[in-house]
Parts: sequence; structure tokens; C-alpha cells
Amino acid sequence: MKRSLFLTLVLVVVLALIAACGGAAPTPESAPAEKAESAAPTESAAEAPAEAPAAEAVTIVMWTKEGEADGGLQYNQALAEAFMQENPNITVEVVKKKDVEELREDFQTAALAGNAPDLLWTVNDHAGPFTAAELIQPVDDLFDLSVYVEGALEAVQLDGKTWGVPISSGNHLMLLYNKKLIPEAPANTDELIAKGKELAAQGVIPLVFNQTEPFWLVPWLGGFGGKVFAEDGVTPTLNTPEMVNTLKFLYDLKYEAQIIPPESDYDGSDTLFKEGKAAMIINGDWSLSSYVEALGDDLGVAPIPQVSATGKMPAPYTAGTYFMIPAGIEGPKLEAIKSFIQFVTNEENQIKQVKELKRLPALKAAFDDEAITSDPILKGSVAQMAVGTGMPAVLEMRCNWDAMKPELQAVLADQKTPEQAAADMQAAAETCIKTLE
Amino acid sequence: MEKLTLDVILASLSEVGSTVLFILVGVVVLEAVLYLLFGVVFKNKYTLPILLLAPAVVGLTLLIIYPLLWEFNLSLTNMSLRRFGDKAQYTWVACQSADPGTIQNWLTDCLLRNYADVFRLPVLKQVYFFPVFGRTILWTVINVVFHVAGGLGLAILLNRPMRGRGLYRTLLILPWAIPQVIAALAWRGEFHYEYGFLNIFLTRLGLTPISWMSDPTWNFIAMCIVNIWLGIPFMMVILLGGLQSISQEYYEAAEIDGAGAWQQFRSITLPLLQPVMTPAIILGTIWTFNNFNIPFFINQNELETSDILVTALFRAAFQYNRYGFSAAFAFVIFIILLVYAVVYIKTVRIEGIYE
Repeated sequence: MKRSLFLTLVLVVVLALIAACGGAAPTPESAPAEKAESAAPTESAAEAPAEAPAAEAVTIVMWTKEGEADGGLQYNQALAEAFMQENPNITVEVVKKKDVEELREDFQTAALAGNAPDLLWTVNDHAGPFTAAELIQPVDDLFDLSVYVEGALEAVQLDGKTWGVPISSGNHLMLLYNKKLIPEAPANTDELIAKGKELAAQGVIPLVFNQTEPFWLVPWLGGFGGKVFAEDGVTPTLNTPEMVNTLKFLYDLKYEAQIIPPESDYDGSDTLFKEGKAAMIINGDWSLSSYVEALGDDLGVAPIPQVSATGKMPAPYTAGTYFMIPAGIEGPKLEAIKSFIQFVTNEENQIKQVKELKRLPALKAAFDDEAITSDPILKGSVAQMAVGTGMPAVLEMRCNWDAMKPELQAVLADQKTPEQAAADMQAAAETCIKTLE
Repeated sequence: MEKLTLDVILASLSEVGSTVLFILVGVVVLEAVLYLLFGVVFKNKYTLPILLLAPAVVGLTLLIIYPLLWEFNLSLTNMSLRRFGDKAQYTWVACQSADPGTIQNWLTDCLLRNYADVFRLPVLKQVYFFPVFGRTILWTVINVVFHVAGGLGLAILLNRPMRGRGLYRTLLILPWAIPQVIAALAWRGEFHYEYGFLNIFLTRLGLTPISWMSDPTWNFIAMCIVNIWLGIPFMMVILLGGLQSISQEYYEAAEIDGAGAWQQFRSITLPLLQPVMTPAIILGTIWTFNNFNIPFFINQNELETSDILVTALFRAAFQYNRYGFSAAFAFVIFIILLVYAVVYIKTVRIEGIYE
């Protein structure tokens, strides 16, 4: 017993020593390295004067919301690789976050702990919470923003400043259909329900979408003539007849017409559509490339059907994907980030993004490329974007999302009436906005 | 992927190593100062105990006491997204943000407002504190009852000579060996409406599939199923150990006296198992009460009707960004568990188990 205790102690001490030496050893190494760096400009100035200022080794840690399923993450990594080849002194580390919500929560927590990443690849409405907490910096003075699509820029403008550099524009929902199961997209909701019932009779699931997120609720709300904010852009207007009608409509799709499955989240809908078990899906532009891969020429893209009761087109939120730069980043690191952002948004890579991910570019110049003008899927995407409405980025929108989510689910699970749910949404959003102050 | 070369190893060691070095140097300096102070200057007879205790005291202070005080301070503040981080824009409560006209009670409307809010406002979007608390107790009771009943049943089955006992034991312990998060995520897949095993099974039997994720009752049941499955092996192992320590002589004597199996179980097994069972139940209760992984991961749709106290706390803090409020909420949960622990220690002492 004593012997083994002694041995353990010795082991611990030895390990501690090794660790300590490991810690100490690089110090003499790193000193010459610094010298070499400071000496580098003079050397390289002789050889390649243009690259002289970029000689310092920089690592950029970038968090991305992209996932593997639609190729977004792979695209991120390929871009990082290509950029590192051109700029050997810069290392770009791509860190994948499970989804946009996880990215937001983790970034807030990491920033609080003083351990934030160097760059974010994310969505526009994070600008609200991040600017409120002063976690990101404006980009107006860093880039020439006039080359980007205005619609994409507006979605990240708050307090007269721009808080993100657009990578793509769109990020909007649209109706995607499998031509094998339904040759033409329904033009309005009456047609949708009639066609849906036919399909259901044949044993096909007519329509799927993520029933758990209010992002899939707001297009219909627009179709019923409602908005989540009053004119001032910060007062929630959720307890309205339009919201009640929207919730009723979704409830009826599920329990009256029975054209959507009893339970459906994002991945479930996605799989049903890819496997050809569902005829139509409402999903975003980010998913286009994976559906092209799964369905090929059978994939059709159309605007979400007009709401027959109002004669209005549903209005999905439009924005894009964005780079956001955390507050406090400066010096060589900021320079490296700037050149990476310019690399990603240059015309060549923007067109590559159109081709690989089927996302609309953020760079104006790339819109005229025939990759867009000759592609029926992208044309459908552009048509849907035209009737969309810009997604609010204010912090109050956070409260609206959080307030809508449980109520949407309660209505679809037949736990609450639409009237009750709309009233509860409004109450929750108001309570939430009070706690923001 | 980068290759694991010596450089990479050294570089990663150096990142950790500097921290370790810092701690080592710190400890040495601390010990030297204490030795000089108590051993040389005061010639205190407790110098050695002080030297031995010092690193632990410092460590505990930095890792437990300081965060606890920080958290308590936070619970009195109005920190939120607009008052965030160490810019110290948040202030000791919320008197400023309260409308002076509405302050009726200086304590609940001002200084302890967050604590009062835990009980008078929804802790999430719709659900209030007491329903969540009630659900947490229900969740704990259901789980612990099934853990003990299932664990005891399996332990008794295993505690007799039979062929392949080791194999059965291994198979039964397996759920315990799987990391909780992995198990929870795997189970969540099985509750999927279209592709989950359970619904496929039900459909094949000609029954209607169940909306495990969106129906509040079924979601709660799903959580319980997973946690019962996960918790039984632990109870089984502990109780099996207890069973094996009961001498066979009692049973032989009972048999001679003509006692049946049920009488043997009631009068010999249960009382002699109690010293093992009581702490296991107490421990299981605290674990279940504070179980985060299962309720959080099974409840994929974030139904407020499936949240127990700890998951509600996480959502309040990190999804809804009510930091000051959440700190107060955390202290309320802490006090509940503290009361439970004190009662437990008293009970155990009265029963004289450890004497």
C-alpha cells in the first residue's frame, strides 16, 4: 500500500516536471522566433516588397453556423484552405456550431468569459443581441460596402451603422417540390389543400416543414397581412386577428386538411423530402444545393402559395449570411480578417458559392453571371426573394422569436386555441422586452 | 488533418504547461511564505498542518467560494444583454429600472427583486416556478421508484448461482457505461415520429404512432423512459453488492423455521439491505433532481412543459439572457437542495447507520 502510494507520488511529480518543462522549453524557442519575425520584413522587403507587412503569423478562429448536410461547412473549409494557400502566414480555423442558436448562445457566453473567437459566419438577426451587449464592431470603416446588395446590408444596419459583411443574400424560405409527385406547384392555398388531399389519398405526405420554429410561421403571417412589429419597429404586435388567422390556418392544415405530418422538425422534414416521401417542403435557400443533389431535375422551386383568404403572397424573411467581427479585434489580426473577408466575397468565390450552394450572392457584380440567369432553381429563389420582407435585426426581435416558439408548438400540438396562443405570445414578448431594460 | 508531430505535442504541452507551471510556482511561493511566517517568525506548533492545508484552502476559495460570492452578487443585479459583461453597466438591483412610483415594498421591489420575481413572474415564457418545481418532484419520484424497484429486482435475479451470470451482469450494466449525452441523443432518435424505433414498432402493431416530441405528456414519459433505463444499472450494482454481503446463514435458519420466499425477503433481505439502500436512494434522488442531460436533450422542441428546475434555469440564463434573475433562481434551487441534504444527514444520524 505504502509502496504504491509512493510510486503514485513519484509519478505525479515526474509528470508535473514534464509538464513544467514542456511549458518552459518553448520560451527560448519562441524568443528567436520573435526575432525572426521582426527581422523578416527587411529580408522579404528585398524579395517581395508587396507581401512584407503580411509576414507575421496570424491565426483566425472562425465560428460558423453552417452544417455538413447541405455542404455549407465543407464550402467554409474549402475557402479557408484556399485562402491559407494564398496567405501562408495566416491560419484560419473553422469551428462548427450545431446551429444558429447554439452559435449565439456560445458566443455570448464565451465573450463574457473573455474567450471569444475572432470571426463569426452567421445570420443577420444576431446583430441585435450582439450590438446590445457590445460584442461586435461596426464594419463601415473597414470595407467598401457599396459593392454589396443593399437588401442584404439593410438587414444588419442598426443605429446608423452596419454590423456585418454579407456573404450571401436571401436566407429566405420558399416552396420546393418534387416534380415526380406533383408536376406543378400550387398557386394558392386552396389549390395547396385540394392537391394535398389528393396526394395524401395516394399515401404521399403532401407538405412538410419545420413545425417547431416560428421562422416558418412568419411567411404565413405576412400572407395574412400581419407583422410582428408596429410601425416603430420595436413594439410587438402579436395578438392580432392576422396572427390568430395564421395560427388557425396552420392548425387547419394539420387537423382539418391533414396535409402536414403530426410531428415534424427540421431534420425529419428534410429527410422525408429527400427520400421522396413528401411532395413539397418549405425550406430555405441554404438547403437548395442538397436538394439538387438528392432530386436532380425533379426539383422545382416556387414562391410559397398565395393565401386565398387575403389574396396576398406569404412574405418570408430575407437577409443573408454575414461575417461579424467581435469587438476588440485589431492590429494584424484585423488585417488578416479583412483580407479573408475580401477573399470570400470576391467575384470568383461569390460565383463559386452560387454554383456550389445555390445561394444568391451578396456582391452586386455577381448577379449578372449566367450561373444565376440561366438556372431555373435560382430564378425561383429570386422570385421568392422579391416578395419577401427584410428580417428585423433589433434585439426586440429576439423576444418575439422566443415568445412565438412555445405558442406555435402549443397550437400545433392542439394544446391551446389560436386566440389564447396569440394573447400569450404578446404577453410573453412584452414581459421579455421589459426585462431587456 | 495535421499530423501529430513532436512540434505539435510540444506546442500543446506548452499551452497547458504554462498554467501548470504557474500553479506550481504559486504553490511553492505560498508554502515558503507560510513557512517563514509560521515556522520561523511565530514558531507556531501547527505549522505543518497549515502548510499541508494551504493549497487546498486556496484552491477551494478560488474555485468554489469566490464563484459562489460572485454569483450571489450577480443575483442582486439587473444584468441582461443590454447590461452585459464586465463593463459593469449592470448595477445592484434593479431599483433604477423600477418605476419609483410602483415601489411598495423596499425589499421585494428593490433589493431582492430577482428573488421575488422567481416566484411571481414566469421563469420561462409561460410557466411559473411552482409548476416546474412540482414537475421536478414528480420526475424525481417516478425515476427513483423505478430505479430502486428495477435495480432490486435485477440484483435479486443475479444474486444466485446460475450459468452465464457474468455475461448477464455485463449486459445489464452496459447502459451505465455509455456517456449520458450519447445515450440521450441515441434515444431521442428512437422517439422520432417517422423514423424512430418506437413509432415504427407501434405502427407495425397497428396502433397509432405517438407524437413523442410535441405532445407534453408523451414527451415527459419519453424523458422518464430514458432516465429509468439509464439509472437502473447503478442501483443494480450497488444493491447487488449489498445482497452479496448478507450472510447465507440467515436464509438457512429461516428455511429451517419454515419461512417462505416472501417472508425471507421482507424480514431478512430488506432490513439488511437498508444500510446500502438508503444512501443509494438519497444519492439517486439528488442526481435525478439535478439531472440536466436527459430532460434537456430529449426535450428537443424545448417544450416548457417538460422542463425541470435545472433545465429551466439553463434556458432562463443562456437562451433568454436573464442573468441576474437566473442567478437568483439558481440560489433558490441551491437552498432547496441544501434543505434536503440537511434533512438527509439528520435522518441518517438518527438511524445510526454509520456508527
